Amino acid sequence: MVPISHFLLLAAALFCIGMLALLVRRNALIVFMGVELMLNAANLTFVAFSRLHGSNVGHVSALFVIAVAAAEAAIGLAIVIAVSRNRGTLLIDELRTMKN
Amino acid sequence: MDSLQNFFMRSPVPATDLAPSLWWIIALPLIGALVIGAAGKRLGRANVNLIASASVAGSFLISLLVFWAINDPRTSAINEVSGSAIRYAVGHDFGTWFAAGDFRVNFGLQVDHLTGIMLLVITGVGFLIHLYSTEYMSHDSAYWRYFAYLNLFVAMMLTLVMADSLILLFVGWEGVGMASYLLIGFWYSDPAKAWAGRKAFVANRVGDFGFLVASFLLVLVIAAFEQEAKPANLSRAAMTVQEFQSGVDRKGPLAFQTLETFAHAMSAAPDSPETAVGPKSEIASGPLAGFSYGGVLTAILLFFLLGATGKSAQLPLYVWLPDAMAGPTPASALIHAATMVTAGVYLFCRLNFLLVFSPTAMAAVTLVGAATALVAALIAFAQDDLKKVLAYSTVSQLGFMFMAAGAGLWWAAIFHLVTHAFFKACLFLGAGSVMHGNAEETNIKRLGGLWKEMPATSWTFLIATLAITGIVPLSGFFSKDAILHGLHQTHLADGLTWAPHLAQRMGQLAAFCTAFYMSRLFILAFLGKRSPDAKVAHAHESGRAMTLPLWALAILSVAALVYGLPLMTSPSGQGEPVFLNFLRPVFAPGMTIAARLDSVVQEDTGGLLAAYFFAWLIALAGGGLAAFLYMKFFPSRVGQVAPAPLLAIRSFTQHKFYVDELYEAVVVKPVKFVSFFLYKVVDALFIDTVMVRGTAWVTQRVGSALRYVQNGNVQAYAALMALAMVGALAYALMKVL
Repeated sequence: MVPISHFLLLAAALFCIGMLALLVRRNALIVFMGVELMLNAANLTFVAFSRLHGSNVGHVSALFVIAVAAAEAAIGLAIVIAVSRNRGTLLIDELRTMKN
Repeated sequence: MDSLQNFFMRSPVPATDLAPSLWWIIALPLIGALVIGAAGKRLGRANVNLIASASVAGSFLISLLVFWAINDPRTSAINEVSGSAIRYAVGHDFGTWFAAGDFRVNFGLQVDHLTGIMLLVITGVGFLIHLYSTEYMSHDSAYWRYFAYLNLFVAMMLTLVMADSLILLFVGWEGVGMASYLLIGFWYSDPAKAWAGRKAFVANRVGDFGFLVASFLLVLVIAAFEQEAKPANLSRAAMTVQEFQSGVDRKGPLAFQTLETFAHAMSAAPDSPETAVGPKSEIASGPLAGFSYGGVLTAILLFFLLGATGKSAQLPLYVWLPDAMAGPTPASALIHAATMVTAGVYLFCRLNFLLVFSPTAMAAVTLVGAATALVAALIAFAQDDLKKVLAYSTVSQLGFMFMAAGAGLWWAAIFHLVTHAFFKACLFLGAGSVMHGNAEETNIKRLGGLWKEMPATSWTFLIATLAITGIVPLSGFFSKDAILHGLHQTHLADGLTWAPHLAQRMGQLAAFCTAFYMSRLFILAFLGKRSPDAKVAHAHESGRAMTLPLWALAILSVAALVYGLPLMTSPSGQGEPVFLNFLRPVFAPGMTIAARLDSVVQEDTGGLLAAYFFAWLIALAGGGLAAFLYMKFFPSRVGQVAPAPLLAIRSFTQHKFYVDELYEAVVVKPVKFVSFFLYKVVDALFIDTVMVRGTAWVTQRVGSALRYVQNGNVQAYAALMALAMVGALAYALMKVL
């Protein structure tokens, strides 16, 4: 048996890499990839615990998360397309109309 | 003779019918004031003159009827607290004004002999002055405001003298102060004149504070006595303690009837504190616990003295009266000669039954009066302004009245009040006439030679001057000598026998000074040649409306001497002055209580004729010295410079002994500094700048600092969220572990 800590550590590492991508990268699409990566890290944690306890709750939660991530990705990408048409750029740095 | 006496002692209108209509005496001038004040400008000069004079004349006629009624021996009012009769008085209680708990004030009017005399003086002299003012103010465009204020003043003064409780008296007291302020600052566009009005009001206010504190203490004392009175206190008045308490509840603690009953009860058995509460008993409970009744009464009377010095311009609050000459001269004649300034004397005469409880307070009143009489007379020596000399003369004569009131010679004080009203009003109106005919010139050094040019004014001024200096056979002689001789005969208890005698000596000196400065005034203004600095070459005599009141007052100054002649018989069978006999019913309580307490006694040392002769000599000496100096000595040394010490003394006296400057430095400047401090530091700096604007500033700075958090960068927001999450996670871990 693989100890649960390996799964959790992997999930944590994936989460951190995803957060880093979210916070640092300028391209909006890369930021979305980071978000997806964070969500998948959470999924991994759920499934790992579900495997540990032998119950199905984690699997079901993971399915929920996948559904929500899909919906969010759809809407988010739609916003990105609209913004890129309006502003002509995908770099988040240059989208500062909410300043002050 | 008998039928004449019967005519005057049988009133056609019974007093009981007159009693409910007493308020008309006050109402007529008040309505006049309201009508003139509201519509005066539209009514025109003739109508305003008519309304103003007619309302005062109407009051005079009603006062005459009331005076006639109280001369009737059948007239008597009821003391509602003790149930006893008040002879020769008519009164009416119009009901409760306000009540709070067991403190009650009724709106009641009472006219006894003292009030009757005051009514006649106020309305009579007031009417003459209204008549005079119709011509004096004929060139002024604000005549309607003047007559409105004058009528208001008369109404308020009448309230003061007719009030049957201290609170209603205080209403009149304040009212005359306000009317005086309005009249002094009548020409308010001149800031100096407006400031004179303010000064009068502030000085009066200091006195009013004394009056109020005394009233409050009196309420406390009466409340304490109500609780602690023993049956022996009230047996003389044939009352039980319950009846006394319910009487006080019905009438209120500050009604004069209550105070008189209290005084009688308090003095019932002063030497046996076990059976009856007396002046030496201690107050057992309440805020005044621990003090003796006599001590508290002394304090009360001293506070009333403070109030009286403010209103009657005595030391130390006399400083407003000379500055009050900024107002129109007839107003000065009415307010600052005949009526308002006599309110303090009237107060002490009204409270005669309380005054005799405290020889200390009596000595204080007498000495304040004597000191004022002397100081004011000395200041008048060096004044060149006609009206200022008369103002200081008024202060001095009021000092005489206080001397008498403090020594228990209340009849002499009122007698001098009446004669002074006549001759001082005559002098002031004469001064106004002089000003009217000389282009408003008041400096006597620039007048002169008016004897031929203004005969009516000169003759009446001469008569009034002779009256005030105390030359026989004018009335001023009798009234002044009644005071001085009476002081000689006064014996005050408690080791204060020296006080009336010292006051008498100071009074004689002041009488000498009075003769001197008044003669100086007359000689410089009326006799001799016209001064080369005069504004007009020839003076013109004033018209009928001004000279008729002058003659009327001059004749009264002479005729009033009758009241001082010993034509009546006293209860002990000797001859006594008419005034003393007339006022005996009013002052009998004071005299009986004084006899019971043994606080003040009028001994009959005799020597009246010698005293008269000596007083006459003093007046002649003063007048003679003035005549010598100003008709021979000084004119023969024109052009020579006087020695330096004399010049210094003259300058010091002319500057009123620098009292005003002293007050300015000691009182006014600190108050102004405190107010400046409160304004600049507390209000402008602390509240405005630090608290109000400071709060706004802090909010703005914090806001502009926090603004940098909102920079529109989504990733920065996300980073903040991540940091917060890490923090929360660490906190949760620490809690769990």
